[in-house]
Amino acid sequence: MLTTRQMVETFKQIGITHVVGLPDNSTAALFHELAADPDIYLITVTREGEAFATAAGLWMGGQHPLVLIQNTGLLESGDALRGTLTRMRIPVITLVSYRGYKSLPNPNDASSRTWRNPNSMGEDASPSNLTPDDLARREMDSVAVLLEPTLRAWNIPYEIVSDNSELEKIIFAQQRATQETRPTAIVIAETIR
Amino acid sequence: MLTQPEFLAPLAARRADQVVVSTMSLVRAWGRLSKHELDFAFADSAMGHAQSLALGIALAQPQRRVWCLNGDGSMLMSLGSLVTIAQCRARNLVLFVAQNNTYEVTGNQNIPGAGAVDFHEIALACGFPHAFHFNVAREYEAHLDKVLHLHGPVFISVRLEPGAELPPNRKQSEDTPYLRGSLADSAHRLKAALSVEQ
Repeated sequence: MLTTRQMVETFKQIGITHVVGLPDNSTAALFHELAADPDIYLITVTREGEAFATAAGLWMGGQHPLVLIQNTGLLESGDALRGTLTRMRIPVITLVSYRGYKSLPNPNDASSRTWRNPNSMGEDASPSNLTPDDLARREMDSVAVLLEPTLRAWNIPYEIVSDNSELEKIIFAQQRATQETRPTAIVIAETIR
Repeated sequence: MLTQPEFLAPLAARRADQVVVSTMSLVRAWGRLSKHELDFAFADSAMGHAQSLALGIALAQPQRRVWCLNGDGSMLMSLGSLVTIAQCRARNLVLFVAQNNTYEVTGNQNIPGAGAVDFHEIALACGFPHAFHFNVAREYEAHLDKVLHLHGPVFISVRLEPGAELPPNRKQSEDTPYLRGSLADSAHRLKAALSVEQ
């Protein structure tokens, strides 16, 4: 289980001053918790691209922000991430909620994730050889199919977190961001309660 | 309508220790007038987000005035950011929009809604406590001292003649000094300058 209290404590442990983002169903409880927290300033944006630029400005001004958005918003705001945190080499972490994670086959093993239906070449479909049918199937959320290949294509290192016992990955993600002077990501694969 | 120098020269004359974030056609124009270590060229970056970067700096350093020199085409790309800026009540932020109705650096194609968009009314409707529009140079300069010192965020649109500025690329041989470093170097340099001056 992922809980708001433990997540906020983890944020404070790594010195987060601001959270910039846009809520979704799985992070709604966390946004409520942050809105009431006296130590972390929450900025809710109208569209996710603003979050990356605002976080970049906060960092330049000496603050320690993180970005909190859904995977749909990540895909929407790709150039904002590229043109701010990535190109400016700003060590800010982004928490991305994994809408549709449970609709994926083999959700716990991205490397072996294949679809039962073969593609037109007679091979099993996988993220490396997606077909239009793969992304249009009703029972599989296409944003979930595309999230991890997109993070890899955009050179954003990430870890998946599904339980409070894994929250130290957030600490490691921030450490890596700082050591390598680059943005990193944590993908949240469970509803935060 | 104002010329570009009529818009920027009065600002340069009033430049003290503000952070000034410029973008698109205003990057080189401002760089010709100001060579301050707190000038930041939002160039080779993500279009439409200069004002959000300026917001972040303003929130991080509430004791310091922050000016953002934005274009109208850039402003249209992220109109929702006006709501975000207003809700954050960044009292030290002044957002300028140079309204020439064109995408100047790509050859002056009309922006969508060219001539029909009232940006300062949009800013007021989004919650900005102060928004102004100037299309006469004499009035702009006469009001500038007052509007620059209001408790913001302050929105100022200025009707501008289209110019002929080229895209603000970053390269070592660039005439405009703050375009010579990489975007990463510029970002880290500004951070260092702001941490020293805090």
